Amino acid sequence: MNLKSERINIGNGIHLNLVKTDKFKSNLLSFYFLRPLTKEEVTKNALLPLVLKRGTDEYKTNLEIQRKLEENYGADLSVAINKRGERHVLRFTVETVNGEYIGNKEYIYDVFSLLKSIIFNPLLEDGYFKKSYVDQEKENLKRRIESRINDKRSYALDRCIEEMCKNERFSIYPLGNIEDLASIDKNILYSHYKDIIKTSPIEIFYVGDYDDKMVDYMKEMAVIEREDIITIPREQIISGAKTKNMVYDDLDVNQGKLVLGYRTGIPYEDKLYNGLLVGSDILGGGPNSKLFKNVREKESLAYYVSSTIFKYKSIMLVDGGIEFENFEKTIDIVKDQIEEMQKGNFTMDDIDISKKSIKSSTESIKDSIFLISEYFFSQILSNDNRSLEEVLEDIDRVSKQDIIEAMSTLTLDTIYFMRNTKVLNK
Amino acid sequence: MDIKIYESEQLKEKLYYKKMESGLKVFFIPKEGYTKQYAIFATDYGSIDNVFVPIGEKAPLEVPEGIAHFLEHKLFESPDNNLFDKFSKLGANVNAYTNFNQTAYLFSSTKNFYESLSLLIEFVQNPYITDENIDKEKGIIAQEINMYMDNPGWRVYFNCLKAMYNEHPVKIDIAGTVDSIQKINKELLYKCYNTFYNPTNMALFVIGDLSFEEILRVVEKSQKNNYDKVEEIKRIFPVEDKKINTKLIEENMMTSAPIFYMGFKDWENGLRGEKLIKKDLVTNIILEILFSSSSAFYNDLYEEGLINSSFGGFYTGKESYGHSLVVGESKEPKKVYERILRLINEPAETLLWEDDFNRIKNKAIGEFLMGLNSIEFIGNNFIDLYFSDFLLIDYLTLLESIEYKDILERYNRHFTEENVVLSIINPLE
Repeated sequence: MNLKSERINIGNGIHLNLVKTDKFKSNLLSFYFLRPLTKEEVTKNALLPLVLKRGTDEYKTNLEIQRKLEENYGADLSVAINKRGERHVLRFTVETVNGEYIGNKEYIYDVFSLLKSIIFNPLLEDGYFKKSYVDQEKENLKRRIESRINDKRSYALDRCIEEMCKNERFSIYPLGNIEDLASIDKNILYSHYKDIIKTSPIEIFYVGDYDDKMVDYMKEMAVIEREDIITIPREQIISGAKTKNMVYDDLDVNQGKLVLGYRTGIPYEDKLYNGLLVGSDILGGGPNSKLFKNVREKESLAYYVSSTIFKYKSIMLVDGGIEFENFEKTIDIVKDQIEEMQKGNFTMDDIDISKKSIKSSTESIKDSIFLISEYFFSQILSNDNRSLEEVLEDIDRVSKQDIIEAMSTLTLDTIYFMRNTKVLNK
Repeated sequence: MDIKIYESEQLKEKLYYKKMESGLKVFFIPKEGYTKQYAIFATDYGSIDNVFVPIGEKAPLEVPEGIAHFLEHKLFESPDNNLFDKFSKLGANVNAYTNFNQTAYLFSSTKNFYESLSLLIEFVQNPYITDENIDKEKGIIAQEINMYMDNPGWRVYFNCLKAMYNEHPVKIDIAGTVDSIQKINKELLYKCYNTFYNPTNMALFVIGDLSFEEILRVVEKSQKNNYDKVEEIKRIFPVEDKKINTKLIEENMMTSAPIFYMGFKDWENGLRGEKLIKKDLVTNIILEILFSSSSAFYNDLYEEGLINSSFGGFYTGKESYGHSLVVGESKEPKKVYERILRLINEPAETLLWEDDFNRIKNKAIGEFLMGLNSIEFIGNNFIDLYFSDFLLIDYLTLLESIEYKDILERYNRHFTEENVVLSIINPLE
């Protein structure tokens, strides 16, 4: 099956993307709102979906919304707030069982109308959001931001990015800042909401089976009042180390978390970007990678160790969970392995394996209704018109020289280490 | 060839089955149009099977905590030390997991499926364990254990199990402890291997756009046949008292807010097959009615700021143990606990309405159907259900057969104050 997405302009800055398939037992509809990632609006953006989910003009409480979803065969409503590079993306999604499995093809409109109501017809009190909902969700958001620390691995990665990119917008945490919350109230949030609806680029995705009637319905959903649509600048790409620092967090933990942040300076539009992808996979992609073999299997220093490319920001992070005293030893191995790759000390087999792995996970997108929509959405974000097949071919074309060149751009910028000095000094 | 085919018109899925002469059971669900293929080769052996009579012996043996998981890691060794290479060269992604009840080896691929399948069967059936590679693994697994020690969600869960169970090995951490894994040696690993990796104790499940005939050919060619026949493995479980172990376990660690697990220990155990799965479904429906985000209870506590969206309840049960867990994050876990106790003291008829039952049942049907989009969901659940003597393809029919009266009966026996425990992780002072 060749994946195709049909993109239709249905309003000022609003596009409907249709992916027709009958492979799945469900359908999926998503609304993506694009915003710039800025200190000024990040916390408001993060708070907004939480408040919208609480109640609509038609379904006034969470309880009513949830019951409506359950009646409709457990239609799954999810909202998400993410950063994609230096863009802030708000997503609202419903996934519903295909009508033919439950003998009711019409109920999907009920679910669509609920989604519409959540996004476009929020519950208002005296012309603004309901105060108690805003207050409660401010408290919930505060707790969610505080709970970052609970997942130590992702906290360490976030912290490394924060320190490394401290003068860039990419360092902004997508769920916002606790300090901002005090200044946000129902009026301020509501006017921000109006602004988002009127000025954000909107991408709507539908994946599943559909007919003309359904397409008309979806178009109808997005008939809204619009103003000038914002343009979101592309990320700054920095080559060479910028901050050059070593950062420690002293926490009461059992395992040390090491993160090494590298600048690559290779934008995703660049031909060399694919070489970087393959290179990073050879270095720390899977159980066959240099880091897995040397840090884990040979030296048994870590259970996990890997390297990841951050596409929109052109940085690479290497992370591992280690004993505190193995800090330097691990860094040395990582540096050695990168140096080896820069010298071209890796085989055609290594290249072949990493290409297969990248292609296989890219192709696997076709088996997930959600990943299909995310894939096409990210193609739009990066202005990439290639088909999935062309993307795979480009990976295939990467040469050893490309990889050496790409790996040679790596500059170590920031070393982050989460440690426990109480244990270390014992 | 005596191939059995089960078909569900409602699910639009088919299941193929054949029992090989070795005793290995092979299952296949075709998924036309899917890009990925998935195979899972599993043994009915998990962390709870830590006292048993080794094959060819008479006396029961107690093995160190964490050995099933350790063995899982060790099966990835081969004399030429390049198992990962081989899978990677085929473009397949190999992995494994150990839980309380099973150890499973799996891979997903988009190409070269049959070669990868052959490799999977061969490596699981040809252990290569040396004293040297055991030592190396101790360092790696110690880091895995440390990683879980820093995970508040994992700690609060195991403390809850420890509070509920007196003797049952479900209370033991799956990976063991840094101390317990030091006692693991080659001889013990091979005893576990020879006993539990006998083909009669194993199942292979395959899913994807593939041919069953070809799968069988690969299995026939790759599998080893020189196994001692075992009739039944003797697993010894301690007699678990109906009573809970202790009411409350509290601990402090690096976490942002208190989190809690409240556990209701099940004492209607000893079931397998349809009866067990039905009990599971019925209990989960009750928990959804009472505690899901569509319940009055959830919404009241949410409005009061006592819980957030992480709150919810679920049941899990196997033949020898079972429990309902109600979990979440709260500023005041003990207050939430009190509220739940107050709630369950009300009569079933005023708590569980037939409307709620119908709605939650609808939701369960929809969620199951949507789950079938994922070949990993199908594979992992298939194996889990199969080792409890139930076929995934019968799941929806069983779910639809559940009646309102079933939940009232179960409610009154399971949700009581005598069998309840509370586990809390508090942030550091």
